[in-house]
Amino acid sequence: MARIGVFVCHCGENISATVDVARVASEAAKIPGVVHSVDYKYMCSDPGQQLVKAAIQEKGLTGVVVAACSPRMHEPTFRRACAEAGLNPFLCEMANIREHCSWVHEKGEATTHKAIDIVRTLVAKVKKNRALQPIKVPVTKTALVLGGGIAGIQAALDIANAGHKVILVEKEPSIGGHMSQLSETFPTLDCSQCILTPRMVEVAQHPNITLHSYSELEGLDGFIGNFKARIRRKARSLDEKLCTGCGLCTQKCPLRRIPSEFDAGLGLRPAIYVPFPQAVPNKPVIDREHCTYYRTGKCRLCEKVCPTQAIRFDQPDEIVEADVGAVVVATGFDIKHADFFPEYGYGKYKDVIDGLQFERLASASGPTLGEIRRPSDGKVPETVAFIACAGSRDPAKGIEYCSKICCMYTAKHAMLYRHKVHHGRPVVFYMDIRAGGKMYEEFVRRAMEEDGVQYVRGRVSRIYERGGKLVVKGADTLLGARPVELEADLVVLATAGVAQPGAEDLAQRLHVSYDAHRFYAEAHPKLRPVETNTAGIFLAGACQAPKDIPESVAQASGAAAKVGALFSQSELVREPLIAVVDRQAPPVYSSCSGCFLCQGACPYQAIKREEIRGRDGQLIKTVAKVNPGLCQGCGTCVALCRSKSIDIQGYSHEQVYSEVLALLNRGERDG
Amino acid sequence: MEALRNKARELLAAGTVKVVIGYGRGSGGAARAVFIRDAARSGALIYDDSCRQNLAVYLMKPEVRRLGKAALVASPATLRTVLQLAAENQVPEGGLLLLAPAGGEVAVLAELSAVEARVAAQDQDLGRAEREELARYEAMTLEQRRDFWQEQFARCIKCYACRAACPLCYCARCTVECNQPQWIPVPAHDLGNLEWNVMRAMHLAGRCVDCGDCSRACPAGIPLHLLNRRLIAVVRESFAVQAGRSAKSDNALSTFKPDDPEDFIR
Repeated sequence: MARIGVFVCHCGENISATVDVARVASEAAKIPGVVHSVDYKYMCSDPGQQLVKAAIQEKGLTGVVVAACSPRMHEPTFRRACAEAGLNPFLCEMANIREHCSWVHEKGEATTHKAIDIVRTLVAKVKKNRALQPIKVPVTKTALVLGGGIAGIQAALDIANAGHKVILVEKEPSIGGHMSQLSETFPTLDCSQCILTPRMVEVAQHPNITLHSYSELEGLDGFIGNFKARIRRKARSLDEKLCTGCGLCTQKCPLRRIPSEFDAGLGLRPAIYVPFPQAVPNKPVIDREHCTYYRTGKCRLCEKVCPTQAIRFDQPDEIVEADVGAVVVATGFDIKHADFFPEYGYGKYKDVIDGLQFERLASASGPTLGEIRRPSDGKVPETVAFIACAGSRDPAKGIEYCSKICCMYTAKHAMLYRHKVHHGRPVVFYMDIRAGGKMYEEFVRRAMEEDGVQYVRGRVSRIYERGGKLVVKGADTLLGARPVELEADLVVLATAGVAQPGAEDLAQRLHVSYDAHRFYAEAHPKLRPVETNTAGIFLAGACQAPKDIPESVAQASGAAAKVGALFSQSELVREPLIAVVDRQAPPVYSSCSGCFLCQGACPYQAIKREEIRGRDGQLIKTVAKVNPGLCQGCGTCVALCRSKSIDIQGYSHEQVYSEVLALLNRGERDG
Repeated sequence: MEALRNKARELLAAGTVKVVIGYGRGSGGAARAVFIRDAARSGALIYDDSCRQNLAVYLMKPEVRRLGKAALVASPATLRTVLQLAAENQVPEGGLLLLAPAGGEVAVLAELSAVEARVAAQDQDLGRAEREELARYEAMTLEQRRDFWQEQFARCIKCYACRAACPLCYCARCTVECNQPQWIPVPAHDLGNLEWNVMRAMHLAGRCVDCGDCSRACPAGIPLHLLNRRLIAVVRESFAVQAGRSAKSDNALSTFKPDDPEDFIR
């Protein structure tokens, strides 16, 4: 016989202001099977929990219903309290009379009735609850970090320094990411490479980190603690063990006309190349698309000059398999290439460039060795127009979100220009200045006040060429929308930060969700910002949303902390609220008929095939089996199964049905 | 017909199959299913316009499976059924021979790919009378359809003949038999009849190959195939797939493609 205890919480005034809590408690006491029913001001407080514990012990309760807030808030609290009093924690249920009732209704009779009905359904449910045991899953203490930009580097180092193995995968020939392309960084103007390269070297030298550069993730199977990754190591066309990184091949390569990716297309590189001098690893790759040998079958000059005979023209891609327990996705961002704004003339005029190209112009390792010279004729520009929000915050033509970093880097660009060209005139066209962050507002003010950067509030409508100058037409909205026309020598567009081109494809390989802009979705925008909805896969850096360096680094360390917590135990304990396929007595064995339509429907790849065999080893039938480590308890398979052979523990058909019946059969109640 | 009998005799005599499932003459001149295990009895097989039952239904019966490897006389609808059953992992590759009679000849199909090719070569369009029947149904308003089905289902006696006749209703335990909880009321009253018939149709959404045996089996003469045909049309329009075309599972209701039209979500 069920002995249910009901505990009604006032939640201060959150519930009691609109719901008659004493009445809820007295009505609940009348429900068959309820042997104890009380109300209390703060049930989650220590004395409140004591009420629950004492009742379990004194009245021998077989089930507990706490009528309070959402189970997302305090279910763990009360389940722990029940466990401490000797009751299986899964025999405790929350009746949500706050979010589902008191917060959304006016004070009144009907509101109290609804609260009573909610309690009634949960009492009916808890009578059908079964004691469940947590699931234990083993953990492989190796992390896979995807992306070797600053976020991936930071996450890899933090995890490795905690004593765990890390596999770092970078698709480019070198780690470093966008940060390695930057000249100086806001708000301190320290040299980007100077602060980044020590971290890159640390990655290369760390005994716990295995680096796969020029590699991509082929596929990921498995589940939290037990992933299996397949990594494609693209052929560098040389034997990395023999190559000493002397660079002779890159100097001798006769083809030097390929736009350098590292220099954002402003510089040129040979077909066999190291992207930049501090590259990690410092080993060249052959760009097979452009290399003369791959195109015509002739040349092989690099092979001839190589002192260690390391060149391997016929090297195939290699697939590496690895067992990992957690994944940190740090695949970064891209910038929206400004060709979608034809009125700004990007691509048409050589001297309209994007922010990343300006970084290369200002960088000592760039094509102009750090001198600001415009791409068309190499002249030092006298007037430079910087256009913020080129694509961002523009629902009509670009993207509706704020790319967040542009205000700051535009101020930085204008300052760097003034520091290098003292007589130059920088003009920034902006919509708003968003400089939230430590020392950020001060930085922008310094650009305006100390470095004399002129800020014009207004959008630019058109850019066109006139007599060797670029005419920037816009309006100054602070001066009554007066039209502004500026003759500039160079225009820098602060183009929007967008997701990587392959972001969608990778998300599907990883089975993580992404938003409308193809940025990866965090599990909760406030409280779980580094987790994805797939357990064991974490996010770091700008693959989740546009971010600056300090934010990327902070999130990377956050993700690393999550991985560390996961790896701190050899077994993972999970809630047993998962789907199970039924078992029946012979000759049925299971009502599952093995159609496996559930397999395709499962978003977590949790459904496998299981062969039921007799004692003689004879195959009796093949049925579905849910992997408890992978299952997230979403219930998609349950809804799909025609024969109702799958049930969710804790939310079984029987439990949900009795909840519905409790509502329908509440009987002759007033109204 | 002679070619079919000869082929059955040959297969049974050689031991290639243990049983040939086909049509024979039953009482009152009607065609009925026959299970021939002895080569000498192959003469009992017939194949003509009266042979309409979808024999694939027997493949799913445990007592038939125990007879051993079967050769099945397969109409075009039966071929589609076998493909759908294969997509649902109910027919192992190579576990079955299909005897598809056409124009005095019999094609023996052993591989699912051969079945796919034959189905692809067949004319799959509905006949004129069937098209008109569906068009009349689709022309009804939602209220008219509701009234139509209430009237039809009022005659349902819950005998489950539609389920027994359907080769895709092969669950070891039907939902209608679940009583903890009792999803579908047992008695043949309005609510129970509606719930049963709607559930039957929905469980076949994206799976039904339109053999029409549900309507033929119904002793109350309810045009159940109309529900299925309408669902087939909806699934084809929404997801561009049709059951019974391929032995691979691309079940519309359990698979997801990033380029699925999602215009039904509003």
